[in-house]
Amino acid sequence: MPAPSRGRSAVSALLKTSTRRAQVCSQCRSNGITNTSSTTARPTPSHRTQPSPLSAARRFYSSEAAAAAATSTQPPPSGQQQPPTETDSPATTTTTTTRYRIKSGIILTRPPLLTRTLTPFESSFFLYQKRLNERLSAPFRSSFYFKTDTAADLDWRIKLKERHGVPAKDIGRYNPRGRMGWNDEVLVGSRTSDPAEVAERLVLDAEMRVSEDGEEIAEDERVPVERPLPRRTEADEKNDVRRLDRALDKTLYLVVRRGEGENATWGFPSGDVPTHENLHETALRVLAESAGVNMNTWFVGRVPVAHHVSDPVVGPDGTETPRSGEKVFFLKGRIMAGQADLKGNRHGLTDFKWLTQDELRAELPADYFRSVRNMFADR
Amino acid sequence: MSLTLNIRGLATRLFARPRLPTPTTTTTARFTTLTPVMMARFDSSANTFGGKAGLAAKQKRTAKKGSKGEQRDPKMINMLKHFAILSPRRIPPPLRMARNRHLRHWTIHRAWLLFRRREREGRERTLMRQYQGMYAACEALRLSDGPGTRETGYLYRVAMEKKGVYGHHGVPIEYARPQTETPARTPWNHDWKL
Repeated sequence: MPAPSRGRSAVSALLKTSTRRAQVCSQCRSNGITNTSSTTARPTPSHRTQPSPLSAARRFYSSEAAAAAATSTQPPPSGQQQPPTETDSPATTTTTTTRYRIKSGIILTRPPLLTRTLTPFESSFFLYQKRLNERLSAPFRSSFYFKTDTAADLDWRIKLKERHGVPAKDIGRYNPRGRMGWNDEVLVGSRTSDPAEVAERLVLDAEMRVSEDGEEIAEDERVPVERPLPRRTEADEKNDVRRLDRALDKTLYLVVRRGEGENATWGFPSGDVPTHENLHETALRVLAESAGVNMNTWFVGRVPVAHHVSDPVVGPDGTETPRSGEKVFFLKGRIMAGQADLKGNRHGLTDFKWLTQDELRAELPADYFRSVRNMFADR
Repeated sequence: MSLTLNIRGLATRLFARPRLPTPTTTTTARFTTLTPVMMARFDSSANTFGGKAGLAAKQKRTAKKGSKGEQRDPKMINMLKHFAILSPRRIPPPLRMARNRHLRHWTIHRAWLLFRRREREGRERTLMRQYQGMYAACEALRLSDGPGTRETGYLYRVAMEKKGVYGHHGVPIEYARPQTETPARTPWNHDWKL
C-alpha cells in the first residue's frame, strides 16, 4: 500500500472513532464492559462462543454493535488455563448473582532436597568436556602441591600409579600427552561417565594409603572413608507416604482426608474465611488447627497460587440448595522441618499424606486436580 | 601450514629448558610478555636485556647480595618451575581435529545446545503456567464478594498488600539450603517442635 492512501485510511479511522465512540480505552471497548450490567459477580464464560481471531478482527471494524450485544465479557488472557469448572455452569450466574462461600486453603510443599538425576547424555557430555579440558590445559605438577617425600606425596604417588599416571580422578584412563592423546572418546557401553562410578572412584581415592611415618598401610588396616548416603532412603523403599524423607529429588505436597469411609475425599487443608480475617490469616490458622503447630513453615506470599470453584447444586425448583457453592483460594507454603500431626484437629480430618505430583494426580478428584495443577513445579 | 605448526610445537616441547632461555634478538617483544617472576629467572643473563638499565640492575643486585652468591629459597624455585610450566610456551596448542572427529565434535556440541534449549524452554513454560494459575486465581478473587459482608474485591486488595512480606525475617534462613547430590545423614528432622 503506498504511503498516501495508508495515511488517509488512518486519518479516517481516527475521525470515525472520535465521532462515534465515547472516551473508552481500547481494551474496555473490545471487552464490551460499557454495554454490560455490573450485576454479574464474575465474568460469564464465553469459551465456546469466542470467535476466531479472524472474525474478531472483522468485528472490530464493521460489526462492533452486533458483537457487543452478543458477548458480554471476554475471558481473561489466561484462556484455556482457567479451570473448567467455571465454564460448565453458565445458567447459575447469568440469571442471578450466586453467593459463594470463600475458603482459604494451603498447599504445603516440601521442596526437593536433592538435585535431579543427570541424564546419560549429560553425564557423558561432562566426561567429554573434562577430557577436552585435559587436552587443553597445562600438565599437572605434583611437586607444586605436595612437598617431596612427605606422607601426602607418597600417598599421591601410589594412587597415581594405580591410575596409570592420570592425575585426574574422574576421567578414566586417558593421557592427553602420550602417543594416544588423540584417543579421548570413550567407547559405547563404557561406564566411565556414570556418576555412581565416579563417586566410587572418588571415595576410594579419599582413603589414606600411607601412615604418618611414611609407611604403606596394609589393606585391612586402612581407615574407611564415610560413604555418601544413597539417594533413595528407607522410606522410599517402604513407600511410606507419611514420611518426609521420601522422594528427595521431588516436591512433596501435603494432602489430608476429610470424612470416613465412602464419603472420604482427599484435598489440601482449607477452611472458611470469617468476615474479620484475610486469606493468609485464615490459611495460617487452618494449617495450625488441622496439621498441628510442630512444623517449621513459611508462606511464600499472600497472593493465591490456585483456586477451585465448586458450583452450588440447585434443586429442581430452583431455590433449594442441597450444597452451596464455594471458592477455595490456595496459598503456597514451604515446610522446612517437622511433621504434620492430625491429633485433635478441628476440621474432621482423618488422615494425611505427603505426595509427589504424580501421586496427587491419582489421589485427588479430577476437577480438583485440574484446578490446582498449574501451580506445580517441574519436579 | 599445519606441518610447520606441528614442527614448531615439537621443537618447543623438546628444547624448552626453563633454566636456559634461548637468546633472542627481539628483546622488546619478550619484555611485554614477561612477568616479574620470569624476569627474575633471567638474572644470570641480565645482559640479554641490554642497555644501561640492565647493567645498573645487575650492579645493584650483586651489591645487595654480597657474598651469598646465587642462593635461592626452595619455595621460590618451586614457584618458578610452576610458572615456567604455565608459560605460554608450555601450554598445549589449540585442539586440532581431523574431519570426522571434528564432525563428531560439532554434533555433540549441537546436541548439547539443543538439550539446553529444551531445558530453558521447559522452565519458561513452567513459569508461564504458574503465572497463569496465579492470574486466574487473582482474577476470581478480585471479582468475588468478600467473606461475610465485605464488598467485592476486598480480599484481592489485601492479598496485593506487601506490608511485612519483605524485610528482616521476610525469608527464613532455612530456605537458603542448597540442593545436594546425596542426602544428609538425617534427611529430614521429623521431631521439630515449636
